[in-house]
Amino acid sequence: MCVGLSAKVISVKDGVAVIDASGAKREVSAELLDDLEPGEYVMVHAGAAIAKITDDSKTETENLAKEHLT
Amino acid sequence: MSDVITLAHGSGGHKTGELISEVFRKNLGNEYFTSDDAAVMPAPEGRIAMSTDGFIVSPWEFPGGNIGKLSVCGTVNDLACMGAKPLYLTCSYVIEEGFPISELEKVAQAMGETARKAGVKIVAGDTKVAGKGQVDQIFITTAGVGVIPDGVNMSGAYAKPGDKIIVTGDVGRHGTTILLARGDYGIDAEVTSDCAPLWNEVEAALGVCPGIHVIRDATRGGVGTVMYEITEQSDVGVKLDREKIPVDDAVRGVTGMLGLEPLYLACEGTMVMICPAEYADKVVEALHGCEHGKGAAIIGEITEENKGRVVMTTEIGGMTYLPKPGNELLPRIC
Amino acid sequence: MSANITDPIEFLKNYDGPEIRIMEVCGTHTHEIFRQGVRRLLSPKIHLISGPGCPVCVTPVNFIDEAVFLALEKGCTITTFGDLVRVPGSKMSLAGARAKGANVKVVYSPADAEKYAEEHPEEQVVFLSVGFETTTPSDVIAVKRAAGAGIDNFSLLTANKTMPGAYEAMASSCDAYIYPGHVHAIIGTKICEDELAKGVSGVITGFTGDELVTALAIIVKKFSEGKPFFVNAYPRVVTDEGSPAAVALVDKFMEPCDAEWRGIGVIPGSGMQLRDEYAAYDARKKYDVPAMNPDYKTACRCGDVLQGKIEPNQCPLFGKACNPDHPVGACMVSDEGACSAFYMYGGEI
Repeated sequence: MCVGLSAKVISVKDGVAVIDASGAKREVSAELLDDLEPGEYVMVHAGAAIAKITDDSKTETENLAKEHLT
Repeated sequence: MSDVITLAHGSGGHKTGELISEVFRKNLGNEYFTSDDAAVMPAPEGRIAMSTDGFIVSPWEFPGGNIGKLSVCGTVNDLACMGAKPLYLTCSYVIEEGFPISELEKVAQAMGETARKAGVKIVAGDTKVAGKGQVDQIFITTAGVGVIPDGVNMSGAYAKPGDKIIVTGDVGRHGTTILLARGDYGIDAEVTSDCAPLWNEVEAALGVCPGIHVIRDATRGGVGTVMYEITEQSDVGVKLDREKIPVDDAVRGVTGMLGLEPLYLACEGTMVMICPAEYADKVVEALHGCEHGKGAAIIGEITEENKGRVVMTTEIGGMTYLPKPGNELLPRIC
Repeated sequence: MSANITDPIEFLKNYDGPEIRIMEVCGTHTHEIFRQGVRRLLSPKIHLISGPGCPVCVTPVNFIDEAVFLALEKGCTITTFGDLVRVPGSKMSLAGARAKGANVKVVYSPADAEKYAEEHPEEQVVFLSVGFETTTPSDVIAVKRAAGAGIDNFSLLTANKTMPGAYEAMASSCDAYIYPGHVHAIIGTKICEDELAKGVSGVITGFTGDELVTALAIIVKKFSEGKPFFVNAYPRVVTDEGSPAAVALVDKFMEPCDAEWRGIGVIPGSGMQLRDEYAAYDARKKYDVPAMNPDYKTACRCGDVLQGKIEPNQCPLFGKACNPDHPVGACMVSDEGACSAFYMYGGEI
């Protein structure tokens, strides 16, 4: 059940965030993350935002390759 | 006229006549729609194609249309898939006692508009009323006749290795729309059904390539199911390029949230066309010039190897299978 | 060994060093690896093994029996993730129980199950709480909400588990782990550092095709260098400290317990159960569920598949008596199972 969805935070109120994944919006629990701001990206799993996403996949992969594969 | 459909409206008496003239003839009427027991038309030249379909979609109204529009598009498109220019349709209603007449108006209006747009005439119909609870609001069955021009011969059994596979638009929108309209997923997304009559698109494609091998509409079960049907009927394999398959962003978002495969969600305004490779680009260009073909794209090809299976390239250049269609994902989708 | 790898896929395809066994322990990794066609891109010297990463698959059969008991004997409404519905119990699956009149409802999150309980106070609602560290916080949030709102018709049937015990149990079966990215988003990287100190190697990995391939290249390269290693290859989601808020929340409501893993046996302290003060939300206590120890004989080899001892297609039932339409074991019916992944995406192309 690791399957996670990356989504953008649209709003946060009373521990509930509205997230947007490619135009599909849904409410998820924001209780696990402090200081969640609209515009930030989160990983969503089983109805809760479990972590902030702090970089995009492509940049991260390039950096990892530079650091560990060269 | 009363507000709601009553059993009297189905009894064949003056209430039925009222309903026919004030709702049906008003919206569907044409020179062949008479009060006689059958419509009489001149016989067309050439081979005729006939098709019929029942529509029980729930909910009957959804973003992008309603059951009326769907019932016209469904049969028009089935005829178009054989290369037949749709000419005449019949429609038969079974309506639940208590169904509001204003809603029936909406259905009939949608049918009339769609028929005019598709260039077909609804020439005969029937109305029955069932008691409360004996049918869910409104069910419609349409049947249609079209004529196939000489030189056009299409069938699911005619796909050949090397043929290119084209979709006329993005996939999975109708299924996603119904799922959202019906389900309690708490998802808010702007997805509208792609429900549309596609004869113009088919005519344009056949115009540049009369030798198209297969055209099939990707309704229940979506494009993925069509692909597996073709592998069986034509005894071939299919290879798709995942990156080339057009998927609307919101559909991608919703299916991502629910863990669904867009290729297995119904389309009601998207067709699969399989044609010899040398014509594929021309067919796509012709489709781009049509109202409902702007998103057309080549998504793969028919292969000699991997018979009976659909293989897909993945984002990292790997190869994988599209899993075979499973059990019915969603009942009463159309 | 060339120092510069400009194309991870070429590197993995052409690798000709010592044989390496890489184990993933996450159902989503299992499926993504198959779905992306990763295995077909690898040199035959690289062996990808699917370990006990599917929470439904590692849950023993008696869990389904308990759920069926609650549904049929206690009249509870069972709310569950979809794939649990067709997992066979010793007598029947939940789908079978539904055919006998049980109320079984598929939900997409524990929060939906709790909401359902709030909206249907006349029903006794039980949520089948199966998952690893990524999912457990969501289960706890649902209990927290129910407790806060005074809802007394909602409870969990728990089979939650934690990964570290599995890393220990499986360490001798592989040369390196692909660590499950989202588990570590919750628990952080300390466990991986502890394992490194014991000589166990691994890379925390994300889920896209590129992320998987890059992580695999890092594993193979470092393995060839001869020393145990640990790399967090998913830093945009996994921080060293993970989610202290999630860990604290879970700790408030749940405590470790022993848990049985199908095929492996009991791993002490690898399960999570609700603390005594939350007994009202523990379905086993609330409804006095008897111990179920089915005398369950089967030719199903899920247990061996889960430990990576055999590939799914080496189970005698695979594809024949056991397929997605008629699953015999959880590995074939679960969305995260190795057998279902192999059936759908595996085989020669």
